[in-house]
Amino acid sequence: MASVEINDIRKSYGDHPVIHGVNIDIRDGEFVTLVGPSGCGKSTLLRMIAGLEPITSGDIRIGDRVVNELPPKDRDIAMVFQTYALYPHKTVRQNMGFALQLRKAPQSEIDARVMRAAEILDLKPYLDRYPRQLSGGQRQRVAMGRAIVRDPAVFLFDEPLSNLDAKLRVQMRAEIKELHQRLKTTTVYVTHDQVEAMTMADRIVVMNAGVVEQSGTPLELYDRPANLFVAAFIGSPSMNLIKGTLRTGKKPAVVADGEAELPLITAPDAADGTPVLYGIRPEHLDIAKSGTKAGFKTTVTVVEPMGSETQVFAKLGEQKIVGVFRKRLALDPGDELLLMPEASQAHVFDAATGKRL
Amino acid sequence: MSQALKKALIYIALGIWTVIALFPIFWTFSTTFKVAKDVQMGKIIPWVQYQPAWLGLRAIGLSPDTIFTESTPRTEFLIRFWNSILASLGGASIALMIGATAAYGLSRFEYKYAIWRNKDISFFFLSQLILPPVVLAMPFLVLYKELALLDSLFGLILIYALMVLPIVIWIMRDQFDSIPPELEQAALVDGCSSWGAFLRIVVPVALPGMVAAFILSVVLCWNEYFFAALLTSTKAKTLPVMVASQTGSQGISWWSMAAISSAAILPLIIIGIFLERYIIKGLTAGAVK
Repeated sequence: MASVEINDIRKSYGDHPVIHGVNIDIRDGEFVTLVGPSGCGKSTLLRMIAGLEPITSGDIRIGDRVVNELPPKDRDIAMVFQTYALYPHKTVRQNMGFALQLRKAPQSEIDARVMRAAEILDLKPYLDRYPRQLSGGQRQRVAMGRAIVRDPAVFLFDEPLSNLDAKLRVQMRAEIKELHQRLKTTTVYVTHDQVEAMTMADRIVVMNAGVVEQSGTPLELYDRPANLFVAAFIGSPSMNLIKGTLRTGKKPAVVADGEAELPLITAPDAADGTPVLYGIRPEHLDIAKSGTKAGFKTTVTVVEPMGSETQVFAKLGEQKIVGVFRKRLALDPGDELLLMPEASQAHVFDAATGKRL
Repeated sequence: MSQALKKALIYIALGIWTVIALFPIFWTFSTTFKVAKDVQMGKIIPWVQYQPAWLGLRAIGLSPDTIFTESTPRTEFLIRFWNSILASLGGASIALMIGATAAYGLSRFEYKYAIWRNKDISFFFLSQLILPPVVLAMPFLVLYKELALLDSLFGLILIYALMVLPIVIWIMRDQFDSIPPELEQAALVDGCSSWGAFLRIVVPVALPGMVAAFILSVVLCWNEYFFAALLTSTKAKTLPVMVASQTGSQGISWWSMAAISSAAILPLIIIGIFLERYIIKGLTAGAVK
């Protein structure tokens, strides 16, 4: 086990920079996910940690060694690929034991470790099969088994679940998390799926266009997104971001669409009249009783009853609003709906810079 | 039309095609056992139209009455046969080693030579096939004379390797392209060096393609006549040259030509029957997942 330190890492392909100075400290035993839209540089960063991609500048430490110039085999890492990358001409047993065999480990030790990994992953009946004889989920497990067997300092996962169907993905998500709790190996996990990131990670690093937008625990990111990108990226359905202008004074609020007053507890540190975005998560909207003055008027466009909760899509002027309510609602498209945000849960972002105010 | 009739027609068509396809081979084999007048009169069916004789096999010392005796023609024939085997296996092996590594490079690394990229380099290799071998006749004759490679098996092997190299590169590049690079990356992470990943992971996975490329190369070298005729005279002569040389001053010795031809065809038939599925498997790459 080891910590991973990423110091001012940059990467360019020719003159085209793709990663612009990333700093991440990963503590020993931590489970960190790198999350972001496709093309944000998260996979490239992971591949640089693995040694599969040269580093343009900056350095990466694993434990107390700078590994910039080390080939992958000397970095003491194991990697699980999106396509699993199982060796098609080797059986499950040989796939899992290959790394140990290369290290010239005694056969008895290889057997014992493969067997132990197979037990952990429920792969014992499949040890003598070839990858093509396995289902997607089983292949995924073998890929993980190959990583576990080596007992590396760091696990690297590159979108390992994206080739699985939805049900299996949820199941494997829990298995990987359980595995981490059991082995406590430092893990870097790349995904574009924020739900995966939220559910699995000790800490999430949100990347966009080659920079780190924010890093923190899942709930920190959820409760205090540092900017518009993180606010919109984390959470499903994503946060409502309503354009308006800031009103400071005794009753601070954001005024949107001419008249709708979106309440705030305290005014952020910005001038009166600043153009802002008012962020409110769908579950922090309440339905106000008609006749009361509070809240803002919207027009219902779509209602999605999910059983345990109801999602309502509505419009405030031209802006789309989503609300999630833990009760059943008898609403029809075109109905007028009075929504009341919980002021204590509101976020305000500067419309010009996108930063949290 | 009923299904049965349809099927019958298909089988009849296939039957006719089989006869057409097999007839030349049958003719070559049977001519081995014909005497001059049988050939000239176009006799086809043995025992009915003509009485088989051992003439052809006797010409290369393999008929029942000559096989256990000292025979100069037989020694000659066996040397040619052995030369053909060595030249084609040697040429194909060298081409496969060089070609597979070249193809791997073209498939996995980005090359830049002035304005040339991988695509252009690949095409350059393939474009060598467009050139008729005759163009190379004079230069190679001069070159081989200077290098003292004329009439040497080694020289023949080298030029055969050169001749089939483009095809090997082309087939192997397709083969390597169909193997996901993650496989090697996984091997690198698992502890292989670049060469280790190539030899322990990529080569075994690409084996069907390699077998196909090898067989195809062997066949092409085996059949090669032009360079063999040009660059060899006595020591390193191969079977195709020997076949052609059966047209002597006393006319064409059909029987001995047919006997040598049969001996030249036979290995290819064996390859065709037993290794056909590897060729198909290798040439329809992308089967690796």
